[in-house]
Amino acid sequence: MTAERALELAALQQRLGDAGYIAEPGLVAALLLMQDLGRPLLLEGDAGVGKTEVAKVLAAVRSTRLIRLQCYEGLDAHAAMYEWNYQRQLLAIQLLNHDERTTPKDLAQKEQDIFSERYLLKRPLLEAITCVEPPVLLIDEVDRADEAFEAYLLELLSDFQLSIPELGTVHATSRPLVVITSNGTRELSDALRRRCLYQFIDHPDHDKELAIVRKKAPDAGAELAQQIVSFVQAVRRMELQKKPGIAETLDWTAALLRLGISVIDVDGTERIMETLSALIKTRDDRAAFPRAAVARLAAAC
Amino acid sequence: MLTADPLTADDRVATRLSGFPGFLRANGFAVGGADAVQVLQTAQRVGILDPHVLRWSLQALLCGRRDEWRRFDQLFDAWFLPANRWQRPERREREADGLSGDRPDAASDREGGAAGPDRQRRHAASREDVLSSTDFAELNQREHLLDIEALMRRFARQLKHLRLRREARMNHGRRLDLPGTIRKSVASGGTPFHLAWKDRRRVRPRIVLLIDVSRSMAAYSFFYLRLARALGAELSDVHSFIFHTRVTAMSHALHDPDPWRSQERLHLIAQGWAGGTRIGESLAQFNREHAPRVVHSRTAVIVMSDGYDTGDPAQLSEALVQLRRRARRIVWLNPLSHRPGYAPICQGMQAALPHLDLLAPGADLASIRAVLPQLIEALR
Repeated sequence: MTAERALELAALQQRLGDAGYIAEPGLVAALLLMQDLGRPLLLEGDAGVGKTEVAKVLAAVRSTRLIRLQCYEGLDAHAAMYEWNYQRQLLAIQLLNHDERTTPKDLAQKEQDIFSERYLLKRPLLEAITCVEPPVLLIDEVDRADEAFEAYLLELLSDFQLSIPELGTVHATSRPLVVITSNGTRELSDALRRRCLYQFIDHPDHDKELAIVRKKAPDAGAELAQQIVSFVQAVRRMELQKKPGIAETLDWTAALLRLGISVIDVDGTERIMETLSALIKTRDDRAAFPRAAVARLAAAC
Repeated sequence: MLTADPLTADDRVATRLSGFPGFLRANGFAVGGADAVQVLQTAQRVGILDPHVLRWSLQALLCGRRDEWRRFDQLFDAWFLPANRWQRPERREREADGLSGDRPDAASDREGGAAGPDRQRRHAASREDVLSSTDFAELNQREHLLDIEALMRRFARQLKHLRLRREARMNHGRRLDLPGTIRKSVASGGTPFHLAWKDRRRVRPRIVLLIDVSRSMAAYSFFYLRLARALGAELSDVHSFIFHTRVTAMSHALHDPDPWRSQERLHLIAQGWAGGTRIGESLAQFNREHAPRVVHSRTAVIVMSDGYDTGDPAQLSEALVQLRRRARRIVWLNPLSHRPGYAPICQGMQAALPHLDLLAPGADLASIRAVLPQLIEALR
């Protein structure tokens, strides 16, 4: 059995890799476990380390739909779960007025018509639990939504059902694979954490980042990729307000390729400076990269 | 693990596995009783002979936050690897005398001469008024401590009501909520009898308290901590930090529902308490480690310090400039500034002054009362 699991793990890792995501074995183990236990997976980590990508690639590997709920401050149940299509309902009422059915039984029938599924607008959460095939549900940046929404979410995640007062309780036809990401701008409740599997994603180390760059930007030569990764890793070791994530590395690689830079060295400092806006995203951090500093970093690559 | 009877081996494995959550709990993880079952289920699914797969799976299952994630490996080794089999979680002895009975020494020194006749005069006026306008440094009777705590709590509650009332008034509406109105009108056949209103978007202001606990502040810092505790209990988004030569987060310790444990955790945090002050360095560290997470554009940062700084003033102003960029308001409460003849001339205050929105006296509850409501108002 043990060997089976290890094989399973390696197979999934391989498939993730084929889909373009280099995953640590720990993350792969968590993904397997998440499918076994039917629990959501909570991903934490700095911005740009590839949290959202996990959900996308998981959907790709399982070839199912990805349903994404982007959280924001003030997100309410209507935007996240369901909403009645009032305009159509009103239209229906007007039409029914000219309807000849007037017995009490008919009236009940009319009322049922108005609050039927035809007039229900499915928002991501309702959509996710009413799919025939279990989809991947990505709840992105849950820390941006407020605590009240977290409570709604807990109810959904524990029972996989949703109650709509006018319609009744909707049970999940399939259990979606739920991936929740958080940037840590707000402390999440313990209740939510308890209900999830947890994975902290760190900035990638040298080898992993190199593998990612090679995979995502095959146009960059082996040597250039190597240099890019060394450069970014050195930048990340500096004290910056916002450390570049893997997304920034890839952006920067694209920028270098676009400018036709094929090697990072001291002579090319000027052109590297031109592309740094892809890597360094605040004014203070930019001030930490005068020409001399960039030249030194470039020479060290 | 090789024993003659396979059943006992299995049993031993099960015992070992199910004991693991308890071990983690003893080490401060937030795991519950039901987790033992989950651990066994997981082990059954993933197998136990490959230590890596088991480790990764349990890590995902049992960790809930970043620091737990970082410590997990070590604890996993300690529990499952044979060499450390007998290692037990460290237990800390509780100290019976803690903060609540404790009073700042500096205060009791001062008590002798000045406070005697003073206090008698005060008894004549309303006790509550007197207490709230008494310098914290002069409050050292036990019953005063309890009273001031009650006052602080009431004050914090008032702040909350202030906000709630404002929100409620908006409920009566500035703008029509069209979908809501139509939804209500469905009941009356499309005629909108009952109108639904939109209130303004709910905003959540956040308060970050940075409390100086160096020696020069000893008479005040305990009261500021009490205030932090009271505010944190009543308002939803208050984050407290203490600093002396470095900065430490203490919201968790303060809000521990068990007051004894809260005290004990504060004790642990407080190493270096009542030592020197390096405000600039502490704020720089705050900027580096906590500010990206804690401070956003509707945050008021309240620094509670006397500004006596042994560090580099240039670093202090640099740190404040950085903090300024993130925060909506920076307020400095200085317990000394109400004293006659006080002027913010010490180096630290001089360096800080250009970057502050407000420098206010903070020696008693009344002066804090005068500042905080406007502050919260400004964050809306």
